[in-house]
Amino acid sequence: MTGTDTTRGEVGADPTSPSSVALLVDLVTNTLDPGYAAASERKRAAAPAGRFSGHTDRLAVAIGCLLIGFVLVVGYVHEHRSAPAAAKVDTALIGRVRVAESAGASLADSVQQLSNKIDNLRAQSIGGSGPLNQDIQRDELLAGNTAVQGPGVEVQLADPAAPTPTQANARAGTTPIGAVQVLTDRDVSSVVNQLWADGAEAISVNGVRLTPTSAIRFAGEAVLVDFEPITSPYLIRAIGNADQLDTGFAASEVASRYQTLAAADGITFRFDEQKLLRLPASAPFTPLYARVPTATTTAGVAGTTAGPSPATSVPASVPAPEPTQSSASPTPDTGGTR
Amino acid sequence: MIAALALVAGIVLGLVFRPTVPNGLEPYLPIAVVAALDAVFGGVRARLDGIFDSKVFVVSFVSNVVVAALVVFLGDKLGVGGQLSTAVVVVLGIRIFGNAAAIRRHVFHA
Repeated sequence: MTGTDTTRGEVGADPTSPSSVALLVDLVTNTLDPGYAAASERKRAAAPAGRFSGHTDRLAVAIGCLLIGFVLVVGYVHEHRSAPAAAKVDTALIGRVRVAESAGASLADSVQQLSNKIDNLRAQSIGGSGPLNQDIQRDELLAGNTAVQGPGVEVQLADPAAPTPTQANARAGTTPIGAVQVLTDRDVSSVVNQLWADGAEAISVNGVRLTPTSAIRFAGEAVLVDFEPITSPYLIRAIGNADQLDTGFAASEVASRYQTLAAADGITFRFDEQKLLRLPASAPFTPLYARVPTATTTAGVAGTTAGPSPATSVPASVPAPEPTQSSASPTPDTGGTR
Repeated sequence: MIAALALVAGIVLGLVFRPTVPNGLEPYLPIAVVAALDAVFGGVRARLDGIFDSKVFVVSFVSNVVVAALVVFLGDKLGVGGQLSTAVVVVLGIRIFGNAAAIRRHVFHA
């Protein structure tokens, strides 16, 4: 409307002619419904005859006000119902996740208890301090199947704190992920690999013990360690020669990279020596396809640059008559660190 | 007095029944709300001006809601529903502000 009006104004009549602005002026100045003025004119003209009786008058006002209040409340209720509904779904989903998590944790607990029972029974049957049992215990330790403790280092990596969402985009999930989630699975695994390379003997990430078959990967927005989702802050604990781990890690490229990132992106990165770290056991892993070869000449091949410490499988330690499950998994040779 | 009571009664009714707005009527809700506010401010101003008329009050409210909804409905069919509902809200908003200013002049003489 304004477009055609102004062009017409420029071509033809005076642009400030009242007709082109009259509408806007009228809109701004005559804000009261013209009906009121007309009605009062009418009333003045035909004084008592045109009036409603008092009752009708009041009834009309009451009905009007009732309608208005109703409409306003409907608008309010409607606007405020949708947000709590979304929040309700949110909390329901979160609750389901929590229930599933606790169910998983209790199952893992019972697995742990049962495997402890198996360990005890086995120790009884083959003799608690015999060389066979010691072999098994060492293999289990290296495979991550027993809880361990010892000196080591603790590395903490954490995403920068989320900026408080402004009122404009206060709905959940509108904060761009890139601004908050700087760290990915690569960061966690590069720290882990560096720690293995520096001579770590056992590592856990956020309480998940790493085993020779562990994978650290990314799914959606979560880092998965052995299919267990973990979130920032990432706490990586490594047991080993604490001094050697600390100096080796401090001198590594990985550490200097995250120190730079900490300055640039605001991530949290720190590591320090610990006198005593306790790492949990991982659930026992049963290989389905890997078998101990019947021919005794096979030597394991394990070259690693950054993965778990070079794994030379030790056929000698595999007791021939009783192929235990742990002996089938590669036993990391921790050579120099012992 | 009776107007205030009726307003409160309407609010209570709405809170008690919590009616769900059908999906088809959802786009017209903001217009109805703005028209209701306009009717309230217009009525108060007319009362202060001494020219309040109950019939005009009720009819103007109802017809404003109906006409605004019709205009937006037509706009929806023609693909300019969003713009037209903006236009309705702007026009009624200007009226609300003008009436609020008039009420202020009446009450505070400023």
